[in-house]
Amino acid sequence: MAALNDLFLNLQRWFVGLLARFLPDWLVMVISMLVVSVMLIVTALVIVLWLTWLERKIVGRIQDRYGANRAGFLPFGLLQPIADAVKFLTKEDIVPREADKVVHLLAPVLMLGASVMLLAVVPFGKGMIGADIDIGILYLVAMSSLSAIGLLMAGWGSNNKYSLLGGMRAVAMLLSYEIPMGLSIVVAVMLSKSLSMQRIVEAQGGWFGLRWFAFFFPVGTLAFLTYFVSALAEVNRSPFDIPEADSEIVAGYFIEYSGIKFGLFFFAEYVNAIVVSSVATTLFLGGWQGPILPPYVWFFLKVFALLFVMMWFRGTLPRLRIDQLMGLAWKVLVPVGLANVMLTGLGIAIFRALGWA
Amino acid sequence: MDAAKLKTETITLNVGPQHPSTHGVFHMILTLEGETIVDLEPVVGYLHRNHEKLGEGFTYLQYCPYPSRLDYICGMTNEHAYALAVEKLAGLQVPERAEYIRTIMAELNRMVNHIVSIGFLLNDLGAFFTPVLYCLKQREKVLDLFEMASGSRMMFNYIRYGGVARDLPEGFISAAQEVVGSFPGFVDELEQLLTENEIFVARTKGIGILPPDVAVDYSCTGPLLRGSGVPYDIRRVDSYSIYSRFDFDVVTRPNGDVFDRYMVRIEEIRQSTRIVEQALGELPEGPVMAELPRTFRPPAGDAYGRIEAPKGELGFYLVSDGGDKPYRLKVRSPSFINLGALPVMARGYKVPDLVAILGSIDITLGEVDR
Amino acid sequence: MLGLGIAKGLAVTLNHFRKTYFGSGPSKGRGLFTVQYPEERLAPLARFRGSLAHLADPETGGPRCTACRICERTCPVGCISGIEGEGRGRERRATQYLYNIGECLFCGLCVEACPFEAIAMSHEYELATYSHDALVYDLRKLAEIGKKYALEGKEEA
Repeated sequence: MAALNDLFLNLQRWFVGLLARFLPDWLVMVISMLVVSVMLIVTALVIVLWLTWLERKIVGRIQDRYGANRAGFLPFGLLQPIADAVKFLTKEDIVPREADKVVHLLAPVLMLGASVMLLAVVPFGKGMIGADIDIGILYLVAMSSLSAIGLLMAGWGSNNKYSLLGGMRAVAMLLSYEIPMGLSIVVAVMLSKSLSMQRIVEAQGGWFGLRWFAFFFPVGTLAFLTYFVSALAEVNRSPFDIPEADSEIVAGYFIEYSGIKFGLFFFAEYVNAIVVSSVATTLFLGGWQGPILPPYVWFFLKVFALLFVMMWFRGTLPRLRIDQLMGLAWKVLVPVGLANVMLTGLGIAIFRALGWA
Repeated sequence: MDAAKLKTETITLNVGPQHPSTHGVFHMILTLEGETIVDLEPVVGYLHRNHEKLGEGFTYLQYCPYPSRLDYICGMTNEHAYALAVEKLAGLQVPERAEYIRTIMAELNRMVNHIVSIGFLLNDLGAFFTPVLYCLKQREKVLDLFEMASGSRMMFNYIRYGGVARDLPEGFISAAQEVVGSFPGFVDELEQLLTENEIFVARTKGIGILPPDVAVDYSCTGPLLRGSGVPYDIRRVDSYSIYSRFDFDVVTRPNGDVFDRYMVRIEEIRQSTRIVEQALGELPEGPVMAELPRTFRPPAGDAYGRIEAPKGELGFYLVSDGGDKPYRLKVRSPSFINLGALPVMARGYKVPDLVAILGSIDITLGEVDR
Repeated sequence: MLGLGIAKGLAVTLNHFRKTYFGSGPSKGRGLFTVQYPEERLAPLARFRGSLAHLADPETGGPRCTACRICERTCPVGCISGIEGEGRGRERRATQYLYNIGECLFCGLCVEACPFEAIAMSHEYELATYSHDALVYDLRKLAEIGKKYALEGKEEA
């Protein structure tokens, strides 16, 4: 059991030991970091591919039908994502005539890059983290604002009124939802007294999961719900997918993209969803804590539970209009978030005075 | 700086004809200021198929397959309107059993049309296909009934002038009772999914308000008119066929917004269920088609046959010159007339609201363009 | 309470999700409503109007059609053409009958008009071909379809 728990750590130690025999120290460090980054990105992209398959199956089952189950020789249509990836790679890359070529090209790169950079600070298991920095939370909040620029670039660079509409809506929405997200993260930070992701996970240990921040009634649950709703808005998923509302403005800001650029947007959206679920798991659901099974298995189980809830929402709820979205953010979530922070602070001060914490 | 003095420009946006939520090939030219609609111009004609000219070239019997292609979602009611017009022209008497069968088919078609309309309204609002597929699943059961009786799921060619084409097969009545029995549960489930859903309510309450006097001025009929509070239902006002024998309510709602039209449709499904249950219970025996001469030549004159189609008032105006082909056939289609009120309803709202408003008028392009 | 309506809606969809695994339906996949065409096919009902078919005379085995052309005159579109026959009176039988399935409306008016019950609407609906010429069926092919249709058992006339 313990060997399974430390599987990846042992692999890394063996690899570093292998290189250290005939390479100088600094080169070993550089190479091992490169390998870790590449592995993180590859894992994320592979999971994203099969996440698209899972989404089609789950939404299909909600709608009393099979979902995609025909592609390839594997049962259940497991090769469908490969077919999709090949389709994206082989389509013609069309750039509109009057479009701003540099902006048009860089937009998907920026969006995918911003999402993938967040993976570096997510703790997948005990000791398994890309970069164990002391201010992981701060890095997280800073990087998640970058995708707003990507969206705006996509909307502007396509020279299309529909995509400009979509881009403007998206930026307004993303900026408004940063605040409730930040406020709910602050609650988790206050409850764990640290900005480092690993320490936040460790602060939720013990008592068979009852110490997870999501169960800290009322501030923890409220913070979790606020975070989840803001996160749905940040990643443009239903019911907040107005920027890509494909029944009104036909795909919104990526209407003029084709081929692999569209594929990159598509992947960026799912990577965003995974990252945001991972952060929610880390901050509120106890990260990799869990009995018996290895920590990384627990982590992925919790992430997939949250992703299932996201897909369930997508299959059921109609979408909110843009001004209703903004109203929700500013008139409901921000006051609730602020009140939450105040309550947490008050609670901590009282507990300290009473000698309980 | 005073906001009113800021110089703004309006942009022109083309919605359609190829668009996922215009219910067909329908083109709208919007003039937008930011996201608010300042003006709207509908452009129709992309699906024009010459129904009215075709009517002049065919005999009365040869034209019978065509009315169900006008509004392809509720084909039985179209055929009913055409049959009424011809019967008025020629003074035909329809047997009792045929009248009951026609009522059953027409009301089943009304239920199908309303659930499809609600499903596609939700699709436009963004609930990624789930309500659509639940509604289509229920519709399949009714389409099986139609296939049992007429032989086709969509282009029925079943209700003819003089009666219906063939008698009902064995097992139809019990199958129909089963299907109608499953409808109340389905409508309750749909209501549970939608009516109290805060997001749905926020997207549809107060949107696209049509005042009753404006509705009457624009000759709107159907759920559009009844959602604004005017209790005008042709089955009560100008009763045709045997509707005066059945016990049902005319559903109206006070405001004129999208939510009220949705509620009107849901209630009408329930009322139609009542009518079908009563009709199935009282179905008499007898012939199903009147005696017709081999070459059918109605006397010269004109007649207007109108019914309460699920979308509004559907009317066929026939002019005969004594020959075996109509001299003129005119279709008064409800979707086309109801669309006239679209600019009035849409001014001042935003682009996402426009899609909801269009979904609530419930148009079918086959009928708009004929 | 805010959110209760959304929660009810979510409960409905989760119920559907659960039923697809534990319920019953027309397909092999339990509570699902779709069938896996072409491995599983739903049978059309008795009166289904598919392609036209010529029925065989039980005594001679040949077509019952007497080439009277009533169906050609009744058809609104004109998809029946090229009808020829030989013999006179009661012995007349058709030798040529062209039916363009690309133009047919599948309305069934020809079947209702035929005074000899020589044609019927079969249950054939998989009618796609690779060329326009293959869309015109002649008497031989229509008799084949008719044979297959008769084997399935006709419903009442």
